[in-house]
Amino acid sequence: MTPARPRKGTSWAVVFGQELRDLWMGGRGLVLSFAFSCLLSVIAFLVATNKALNFLEQREAVNLTLQVAIAVGTLLALLAAADAVSGERERGTLESLLLTPVSRFEITVGKLLATLSLWFAAFIITVPYAWFLGRGISIVGETILIGLVVGTVLAIFVASLGILISVFAASNRVSLSLGLFALLALYTPTQLPSSAQKGWAGELLLRVNPLTAGEHYVGKVIASSHSWSEDLAWLISPFVAAVVFAAAASILGARFIRLRGGVAG
Amino acid sequence: MTRIRLASVVVLATVLVLGATAAARGADGSSSLSVTVDRSQIATKLGQKFVFRSTITNSGSTAVGGLIAHLNVLSFRGNVYVDPEDWSSNRVRYLAPIPAGGSTTITWHMEAVNAGSFAVYVTVLSHELAPTAGPTVTVAITQRRTLNSGGILPLALGIPALLGLITLGLRLRRAGYFARGRSRAADVG
Repeated sequence: MTPARPRKGTSWAVVFGQELRDLWMGGRGLVLSFAFSCLLSVIAFLVATNKALNFLEQREAVNLTLQVAIAVGTLLALLAAADAVSGERERGTLESLLLTPVSRFEITVGKLLATLSLWFAAFIITVPYAWFLGRGISIVGETILIGLVVGTVLAIFVASLGILISVFAASNRVSLSLGLFALLALYTPTQLPSSAQKGWAGELLLRVNPLTAGEHYVGKVIASSHSWSEDLAWLISPFVAAVVFAAAASILGARFIRLRGGVAG
Repeated sequence: MTRIRLASVVVLATVLVLGATAAARGADGSSSLSVTVDRSQIATKLGQKFVFRSTITNSGSTAVGGLIAHLNVLSFRGNVYVDPEDWSSNRVRYLAPIPAGGSTTITWHMEAVNAGSFAVYVTVLSHELAPTAGPTVTVAITQRRTLNSGGILPLALGIPALLGLITLGLRLRRAGYFARGRSRAADVG
């Protein structure tokens, strides 16, 4: 008896379900989530107990924790995405995947959505920490909502970037290295001295870079008590990057996923 | 004759410059600028943000330009270290010229960084004018613990422990540990 052929248009859901099983039942997702929770525990413990940090306003403590959660949560999504195609290729399972009656576009979409599950797991792990650090000053709801919105947008951007790299990378090692390098490069502007960040060129760099713009917006709403609409312009680049890179990953993935990595061939 | 003309021009120019400066300083040599603040006392808690406004008034007969307003913070007690940069990220303001009889108001956004009693004041100066300080705003900041650190430990240990147990359980299940246990139990039965 042959397995039922998935209905046209729902094949991505089959790929998504299979990828979720591989990621979570295979244990990789749980190990990464465990490491993430250890990191967040250390950060939350230091914020709450270290005397040097304890003078921080409560909002700043919540903001610091949320920003770390978004940065590391998107990193987890990137790690899974960078392995999505090049990993299958190296493990020798890409051929059988390409032989299934599922279009390459749907394969890419299913894989992209599955990698985002790591971000959502990281976000769920963050909620109790945000609740503990933010209780008593009525920012827990706001923190959770803004973390979900901005973090998801950034995770879509980063995961799409990871998929793109994975499609074209010649090996899984190259894919993971390039993905990590790209993410570190995107976070570099946060290390600029504050005087450089305040000039027009520095601010432009922060605004154009989706990661720094998103983190800046979160900081303004959580730490500086700005309203959601006050700095909305900072969210333009994260949203544009998420849409453009998700579209690019889906379209280019459909066109260029093949058994051998690289652009040619 | 030319020397006399040149000397006259120099004297005239000097008189004009001194006159303008004197007009800004006032007839008795004091500055025609004054600085006032909208409050003299502020009471707040550690970590809170607060705002006050200072108004710089030019009571002279000519406009004054090139003014710089500077915000200063100091502790009334000697044992408290104060870094004014932590208190306000924008402590220097370059002002537009203030016309004769006019004034300008500056809003200062600050954050209470240390607990204790502090003096905050604004100074106005320019290349030509000596600094003019405004009245002191006394800021009383009460200590507070921003977080109850005691409760974090169960959370910080509990969540990784829970995830670690789930991961371990899944690994054991995949390794067939539970299945072997069941089959042994069936054999014994």
